[in-house]
Amino acid sequence: MNLKKVLSPETISLSLSGSTKEEVIEEMVGLLMKSGRIKDLKDRDAAIKAVMDREHKMSTGMQNGIAIPHGKTDVVASLVAALGVKKEGIDFGALDGKPSIIFVMTISPDNRTGPHIQFLAEVSRHLNDVRIRERILQAASPDEVIEALSG
Amino acid sequence: MTNIEQTATALTTAVVEGAAIIAEEYSSEMGPLMLRFIFQLGVIIISARLGGFLLKKILKLPGVLGELVTGMLIGPYALGSLSIPGWGSLFPLPMTAVPVSPELYAIATLASIVLLFLSGLETDLATFLRYSVVGSAVGIGGVIVSFVLGDLCAIFFHVADSFMSPAALFMGTISTATSVGITARILSEKRKMDSPEGVTILAGAVLDDVIGIIVLAIVVGMSKVAQASGVVNWHHILVIALKALTFWVVCTALGLLLARRVTQLLKLFKSAELIASLAFGLALLLAGLSEKAGLAMIIGAYIMGLSLSRTDLVQLIQHELQGLYNALIPVFFCVMGMLVDFRAMSGVVVFGFIYSIVAILSKLVGCGVPAWLMKFSFRGAMRVGIGMVPRGEVALIVAGIGLSTGTIQPDVFGVAIMMTMITTVIAPPLLVKSFEGGSSLRAGAEKNQESLKTISLDFPSTDLAEFMMVRIANAFRSEEFYVYRVTHDINTFQVRKDDMTFSITHEGSSISMTTHEKHEHVLRLVVLEELLALEDLFQSLKSLKENALGVQLLNGLFDKDRGQ
Repeated sequence: MNLKKVLSPETISLSLSGSTKEEVIEEMVGLLMKSGRIKDLKDRDAAIKAVMDREHKMSTGMQNGIAIPHGKTDVVASLVAALGVKKEGIDFGALDGKPSIIFVMTISPDNRTGPHIQFLAEVSRHLNDVRIRERILQAASPDEVIEALSG
Repeated sequence: MTNIEQTATALTTAVVEGAAIIAEEYSSEMGPLMLRFIFQLGVIIISARLGGFLLKKILKLPGVLGELVTGMLIGPYALGSLSIPGWGSLFPLPMTAVPVSPELYAIATLASIVLLFLSGLETDLATFLRYSVVGSAVGIGGVIVSFVLGDLCAIFFHVADSFMSPAALFMGTISTATSVGITARILSEKRKMDSPEGVTILAGAVLDDVIGIIVLAIVVGMSKVAQASGVVNWHHILVIALKALTFWVVCTALGLLLARRVTQLLKLFKSAELIASLAFGLALLLAGLSEKAGLAMIIGAYIMGLSLSRTDLVQLIQHELQGLYNALIPVFFCVMGMLVDFRAMSGVVVFGFIYSIVAILSKLVGCGVPAWLMKFSFRGAMRVGIGMVPRGEVALIVAGIGLSTGTIQPDVFGVAIMMTMITTVIAPPLLVKSFEGGSSLRAGAEKNQESLKTISLDFPSTDLAEFMMVRIANAFRSEEFYVYRVTHDINTFQVRKDDMTFSITHEGSSISMTTHEKHEHVLRLVVLEELLALEDLFQSLKSLKENALGVQLLNGLFDKDRGQ
């Protein structure tokens, strides 16, 4: 799966302003809307709901400050993704109880097949590497984040 | 001309004129030829299948043996020569080096291409690479010892006069190729596939196949030159060996490099049967190319299979070609049996026995000793050696090529068949016996399982575990993986995409999943999402409040008075 095809600079934020799970998710869906991947406010709400529904079942906050919020809804025609960094970290209800710092969010269509979970899994595998995490935290521009993830 | 003759001529003319339309398409010889061929094929398929079935059911021996023996019985040197009144014999002896008709031999050749294509496809390069050190030693040891001893055996029995003469080289090559199919079946029945000796045998067999095919390439090339010019000098040998190696390396490298491209191109067609047919067509083309390059056809077929073996199309192609395989492979073994000339065999029975014993010992020593030197106990090394003993289709194909090119004589061909049969009969019981008893590894040798991860999940009931198996399989399908049930073991799913492989097994109320560490993330996340989706399902079940559907169904049963 080609990371560069899905993730582009305009869907990456290196300084999220939100400080709760809801705010971060809304902000990142906002990135997807601003870049045209989500069309209107109605679709935006559906996307937020899909991600929050999934969070209610079980938090996607994993170890090492990584969270991978995601949801399925047919407001998108193919997999879309956003990446956000909140250096201070927020409480995302993570497995290890520690604050989450790097967020990778995907929204995928409900009724179409595709490597959706696989994409998340591969990004998480990259993020498991402390060197890649460091590079993302040090990144000065979204391009450097993409560089770090595809290297 | 008498009256009768006149009538006969008139009748003949009438028949000929009447058949004019058909004759446009078939020459006058084609019709009876095809008629005989179709009858032959029918008799072969039915009797070979029944023969295989009987041997398997009654004597508990591998089915291929039954097919081989059936071929000997119904072939041109036995029952097949008997004259059917008004028709002649069903399998008459043609005046060629190969004692069956070209049509029949063509079918056997096609079958050998299918066999080797599928065998290349099954080649598990990943397993090989993981256990490459011991596997390589076992494979190389087996090939060298069996080749040298097989070759020497031919000289000892005056079949050839020097080590480098074509007949001797063929006898060496025939003795080389392990047919791991029989061993693999026993290993999986005994649940020893993942044992250290199991993986070593499978890895060794991969290298054995690869080297065996390269050796064949060189030997066929050399014998063709020897046939043409009478002698082979070292200069020639070097050129041929280089040519064979180059063809092999270039094709394999290109194949592996292009595999993903080709796969993606094939996938554009969406239809599984179309993809499989196209892939098989490519195998035939490469088979033809390799013959054209002076090597054997099966080499191209094997390379094509090998190239696709790391893609996710493997199971799909195997699945789609299964029918073709089932129909053709018994014909192959049966025709190989038919080629055995009993008349020529009487003088070579001793040769056959010695050659067989040498073939067995050479694998025990050639594979067993490296295994023992590297990490196995004596018991474990014996298991590895015995596992590599069976010879099969490749030995037969090589022998067939030798016979058809006149490099080996009918009696020597008989010896090759004898060896194939003896090794195939003797290996399974020995292997089963050798697996009784203790550990295979030497004290201190650690298990080489580092990169495989197994995750187990326990469910509250068997029903739920079964239900989850189906859900997990579907989840992988919607992630565009290929999901297949492993045929001999219905509780196991194989899930593949690109170089990812997961095997998911359900036993009682637990599900266990195995994969390479590298792909563990994908496995964990996909299954996790499916578990969470289960919650939704239970929520929606609750909303089916108060058995409303049940009541509806029951009402339908009793709400009308039926009958009078």
